[in-house]
Amino acid sequence: MKNINLYNVVWKPLFIVGVSMSLLACAVNETATVVVDGNQSTQIIETNSGVLADSLSISNTKIGYAGDLLKVQATITNDSNDDVDFRYKFKWLDKDGFEIAIDGRPWTPMLITPYESKSVQGVAPNPSANSFKILLQN
Amino acid sequence: MKLVQILMIVIASFMIVACSNKISYGDATSVETTTMGFGSTDLQSIAAKLVDDLIAFPPIVQMTAARRPVVFVDKVKNKTTEHIDTESITDTIQTKLLQSGKFRFVDMTAVKAVQEQMQFQMDSGMVDPGKAAAFGKQTGAEFMLYGNMSSIVKRNSDAKDVYYKFTLKLVNLESGIMEWAGEKEIRKSGEKSFF
Repeated sequence: MKNINLYNVVWKPLFIVGVSMSLLACAVNETATVVVDGNQSTQIIETNSGVLADSLSISNTKIGYAGDLLKVQATITNDSNDDVDFRYKFKWLDKDGFEIAIDGRPWTPMLITPYESKSVQGVAPNPSANSFKILLQN
Repeated sequence: MKLVQILMIVIASFMIVACSNKISYGDATSVETTTMGFGSTDLQSIAAKLVDDLIAFPPIVQMTAARRPVVFVDKVKNKTTEHIDTESITDTIQTKLLQSGKFRFVDMTAVKAVQEQMQFQMDSGMVDPGKAAAFGKQTGAEFMLYGNMSSIVKRNSDAKDVYYKFTLKLVNLESGIMEWAGEKEIRKSGEKSFF
């Protein structure tokens, strides 16, 4: 009867699976923020990691009003050679910087193919909003 | 060789510990992809898209500029093969529209309870007649919000594709004219994985 090598059959695959799972668990969440105040087009891009900043860019941020509700649009471009699967979310702030309708907007999944641009739009939940943020997360 | 075996035992122990029951609170607005079925992310994205569309539609903007029209929410027909609580979707839409300050609603789900309370105020003898809510003073709805939800499901041995379409309409009850309609489409694809 042929001897089974315990190392090759059991421990080696277990080791590989363990290392792979450890690597997967290290995936990071990153957030980029764009802030536009009133009618000014000031953009502040914040990111806590280079991965998202290298792949995606936010440009052409536009603001307008639907009646007295702030209406916004931003273009998100994939500057990389790969598909980028991420999610975005709008946050609305009043004139004093207080967030309006916390948890009122969901994270929305989006996939952008290489060098493609997509527009995202949002309307403020009520007339007290006068600035907003767009959060991106991978 | 012994060192490698010890290392592997440690990793295996970590994996076993990682499988133990762990409960935690998460972000209710995060993307949920547990199964291909209709989920919280679908509900939230439908409500957000349709409310944005409705309150930014130019004739509606004009109509709600000076007054807050009264709306009645009818049921959304579920034409999908899944059990979906469509009332939960319309509840979220109704809440967002109410909080926008643009619309008011009459709640048909509470009619019986309201009627019982008013009957109590009128007939029980326990309520000051001068302060009792009078019958025949309620405001009638001017608009009705209703819709449909449908799906197309396709699958083969390796993959499954689900397409949802949610349509919402706003009709003027007196004239019968549809003032607004909005749609939200969702596509989900999944492949069988060995891991």
